Amino acid sequence: MAEAAKTEVIKKKAGPAHPSGDKRFKLLEVTMKRHQFRSDALIEVMHAAQELFGFLEVDLMFFIARYLKLPPSRVFGVATFYNLFSLRPKGEHTCVLCTGTACYVKGADALLDAVEKLAGIKAGETTEDGKLSLVTARCLGACGIAPAVVVDGTVKGLETPDSLVQQLKGWLPNG
Amino acid sequence: MPRFEPVLLKRIDKPNSAALAGYRADGGYTALKKALAMAPDDVTNLVKDSGLRGRGGAGFSAGAKWSFLPKNHPGPIYLCVNADESEPGTFNNRILMEQDPHQLLEGIAIACHAIRSNAAYIYLRYEYGRSYRVLDAAIKECYAAGLLGENILGTGFKLDVRLHRGAGAYICGEETGLIESLEGKRAWPRIKPPYPAIEGLFRKPTIVNNVETLCCVTHILTRGVEWFKSMGVPPDPNNKRDQGSYGPKLYCISGHVNKPCCVELPLGVMARELIDVHGGGVWKGRKAKAVVPGGISMGFLSANELDTKLDFEGPGKVGCLGLGTAAVVVIDDQTSMVDVLYNCCRFMSHESCGQCTPCREGTAWMTKILERIRTGRGKLEDIDLLYEVANSMGIIPGTTICGLADGAAWPVKNAVTKFRGEFEEYIRSGRSSITPAQQLMAAH
Amino acid sequence: MPTVYVNNQPVEFGAEERLNCVQAAQRAGVEIPHYCWHRALSVVASCRMCLVEVGQKKPDGAIAMQPKLIPGCQTPVTDGMVIVSDSDKVKAAQKATLEYLLLDHPLDCPTCDQAGECYLQDYSFRYGRGYSRLQEPKEQPPDKTYIGDQITLFTDRCILCSRCVRFTREISGTAELQIINRGNHAEIDIFPDEPCNNKLAGNVVDLCPVGALCSKDFLYKQRVWWLKTANSVCPNCSTGCSIFVDECEDRVYRLRPRYNPRAQGDFMCDEGRFGWKYVHGDERLHLPVQRDGGAAVSHDWDVVLPAARTALAEAAKRGEIAAVLSPWMTLEEAYLLVSYLKSLTSKLSLAVAPVRTVGEDDKYPKDVHGRTMEPTKFTIRAEKCPNRRGVEMILQHFAGSVMPMGDVLGRASSGAFTAMYLVGGDPQGWINEVQAAALDKVNTVIVQDILPSPASQRAKVVLAGGSFAEREGTFVNHAGLAQSIHRAIRSPGEGRPDGRILWDLAERRGLFSAAAVRREMADQVPALKPLLDAELGELGIKL
Repeated sequence: MAEAAKTEVIKKKAGPAHPSGDKRFKLLEVTMKRHQFRSDALIEVMHAAQELFGFLEVDLMFFIARYLKLPPSRVFGVATFYNLFSLRPKGEHTCVLCTGTACYVKGADALLDAVEKLAGIKAGETTEDGKLSLVTARCLGACGIAPAVVVDGTVKGLETPDSLVQQLKGWLPNG
Repeated sequence: MPRFEPVLLKRIDKPNSAALAGYRADGGYTALKKALAMAPDDVTNLVKDSGLRGRGGAGFSAGAKWSFLPKNHPGPIYLCVNADESEPGTFNNRILMEQDPHQLLEGIAIACHAIRSNAAYIYLRYEYGRSYRVLDAAIKECYAAGLLGENILGTGFKLDVRLHRGAGAYICGEETGLIESLEGKRAWPRIKPPYPAIEGLFRKPTIVNNVETLCCVTHILTRGVEWFKSMGVPPDPNNKRDQGSYGPKLYCISGHVNKPCCVELPLGVMARELIDVHGGGVWKGRKAKAVVPGGISMGFLSANELDTKLDFEGPGKVGCLGLGTAAVVVIDDQTSMVDVLYNCCRFMSHESCGQCTPCREGTAWMTKILERIRTGRGKLEDIDLLYEVANSMGIIPGTTICGLADGAAWPVKNAVTKFRGEFEEYIRSGRSSITPAQQLMAAH
Repeated sequence: MPTVYVNNQPVEFGAEERLNCVQAAQRAGVEIPHYCWHRALSVVASCRMCLVEVGQKKPDGAIAMQPKLIPGCQTPVTDGMVIVSDSDKVKAAQKATLEYLLLDHPLDCPTCDQAGECYLQDYSFRYGRGYSRLQEPKEQPPDKTYIGDQITLFTDRCILCSRCVRFTREISGTAELQIINRGNHAEIDIFPDEPCNNKLAGNVVDLCPVGALCSKDFLYKQRVWWLKTANSVCPNCSTGCSIFVDECEDRVYRLRPRYNPRAQGDFMCDEGRFGWKYVHGDERLHLPVQRDGGAAVSHDWDVVLPAARTALAEAAKRGEIAAVLSPWMTLEEAYLLVSYLKSLTSKLSLAVAPVRTVGEDDKYPKDVHGRTMEPTKFTIRAEKCPNRRGVEMILQHFAGSVMPMGDVLGRASSGAFTAMYLVGGDPQGWINEVQAAALDKVNTVIVQDILPSPASQRAKVVLAGGSFAEREGTFVNHAGLAQSIHRAIRSPGEGRPDGRILWDLAERRGLFSAAAVRREMADQVPALKPLLDAELGELGIKL
């Protein structure tokens, strides 16, 4: 939807709907309205956008910039500053490994090693079939159960390479 | 020693500890009532007299911070609650928010009354999903019960509390980085002066306090200054700068211990007691080689420094940066300090905001040097180079805008001085502690 | 007066003045190296190059120094402040900062446009350590040629001072540039497909203290150490931006803004910056022409000029003469022409060529919503000529009024004039075919210009003049600021600077000197009295 839609957005500025007719834009607009289109709500709005679309594509960032009356470059700068915003689509499932110091000394690197080997991808990548994204995170504040892993949003502690591989391998062709 | 009766964590094991009804049944929101009957400046003075020092890391007097606000300011004045708990090894704020959100909200309301603010922002790290849901529900309960909004408890006091989530950046724990992020920007710490108390959020006077600090405020109101000062360590009469370390503190214990936990104790407990008594000792019958006293940016205690008192002054006496968040991470004698330090540096390099040259480049360079040592390609000179780089960055030498660089430098300086022998041996042996697969990851 | 001590040197400053340490040191002749700080932009204090030690001199003479280094750019000076920029501690910090900045720098000076005027080079030489202790391969992010139509980014040379970002946010208001990513992965970039093409975009190249942002127009064209520089004034609008004309062997390579608080400040617009290409255009008039019945009979100045002189003198005897002056002429040229024609006859009509205007004045700074903010610091003026005010002052003095060109041409078409002397200069054209048809009714038409026009095609004598880069003289801008332009290059072919043409036409003795004409003119024209004994200097004089 990139170029044509974007030009359309420029023309309309704060028009009623995104020209693509995609309903998710309408939902995003409702979120922005709840924040009174305030520019300081940018981060909350981007979270909402990412929840709706999965990632922040160029057209989406442009849409947000227009509605919040921000230079598009600023939205882009914010999107690339924070770890949790993704400019690329994520996999169907996500495995987040904490690499905070407590988890690290309790064997986070062995977990990472095991998942990388299992999935054939490196941290920050998604399997070719789009099934699994492997992410490393800074300390998640779950040091009491180190090493901590977040699988599809659920925090799990005291993982071993074997226990983790067991959970993930169903999603992988070679699992 | 009699067992310490927890105050901040008193309610966390109760069923439905997060619900307003239970909180009120336990005497909740009487502190607010008491505070609202007092003049704002009297509340500030009370907190000042208690000697409460900020629990977020720097240990600045909370009451003194409040009193820096301009007098007779027409407003608005803002309170920002720093709930971006990100220091590796730290999870006490999460427990406070998840288990007893009203304790925090009451503290916020009292603080807002004291600083004449009608708007508070809780800046919560996005990763704390449960904290978000619990706090959100608690705030809604408060509005419904007239504890937030207009005319609170019939006193005419008005307060709005808004929850704002971060998006994954350690630097948002720095108060001006947090403010920038709240304004929807890249969290680049601001140059100071002006300090936030003069010009903060939306260029208005702003106070930034940590979650645990505000929780303490609630109890100072109910139990009084004398109670608060009955705990902890009084100032060293020979050190004019020592303001004392009073009150209860949440210590997080993690790493190579048998029972990782968060425990509440009076300030000034020995590191050894935390590990042996509260953490159940070092795991697998091993010995501690090094202990992080308060989040990795504070540096390391060596095995023979475990009798250091973990109060605001103690860690500094043995070369650490300070008490920090009082998050104790234990490292056993089978773990390589080179690897631990590499982990710290990689974290700091990844989290450096990139604004100041020394931090942006220095943190990345230190990571590269350690990577080289880890892969068996280090040289003995690298140890001195690491020290020199670390020594050149931070607000202590004055070469950066914020303290992230100090936090990046300290573990390096501590490690290469306190564990120099291990570094030298590691380099001389030419061994590599990582597998080829990890080398790939390290290069990533 | 409040006093600050820079490396033990006292520097006085006004009680109302707001100076930072870098500026105070400049007054003492001490350089405090800096990258991110720029007087026209907000302070970010992030490059950490300007670290100094500061202290306070107490009434008893004792000095109390602060323990930390502080950024000089962020610190305002106060009475009794002590600034130290040459202590071992400061030098060590400067060395460290430079080593950091160069860690991932490609050191590709041999192929870098900035080499020779690069602050990384200069500061490394003066304050750096001379070698790097980095052993790992350098990071090499790809270049970004897409960053703008006129600008390109060599990403790996960038030191992230953010001057360019702040410029697009605080001055142009277009906010195309932004720092993306974090930590040592941070880079300057644009939002995808939203390039930096604002009317002031070229300034980011000047602001860039290193070779990261380069001008595509200048790229790889010339090494800067071969360039010679002349102070001049941009002729493209009546703001009259002070500029540098950088040339080598009679070829202009680029124009750069020259700081002038009395004129435009720090910047110039792209229209001016890149609007000089006609100077080297193939169509330039590069020979004088004398025609007889349509056919050229001579291209020799020694023939053409006397012929013009004779024709004018004869025409003056037979009837009325008219002259059309150009708002692109200097004061001196206008004065020489009019005083010469006056000496021939009193039956003289004087007019000025049309002043081209485009749109409306475009004022800066703008906020990121494109709204103009007060106070205005920079204006691109609608009036597209350098010296309307100056030429009108000359005409006012000699004729008492300023007649539009259309009036003179109207009279010309009814055969009112025996001769007309027309001066062009506007590279976009100043007379069209219909207007020029009036000249068919004039016996002697003399045109002095740099480009061919419908007028020059009809002229009996065409005098090939010089562009702004080829002349000496004075322009008066919209606000009455008189600034001098200096000759940077020689005119193409046989072309001559207009001042010299007019000097020779009037048979004055010796060689044309703008300064000499200026003195005479200031003595004769009361409105120009302020120019009599004063040097115009680099900043000019307000009339």
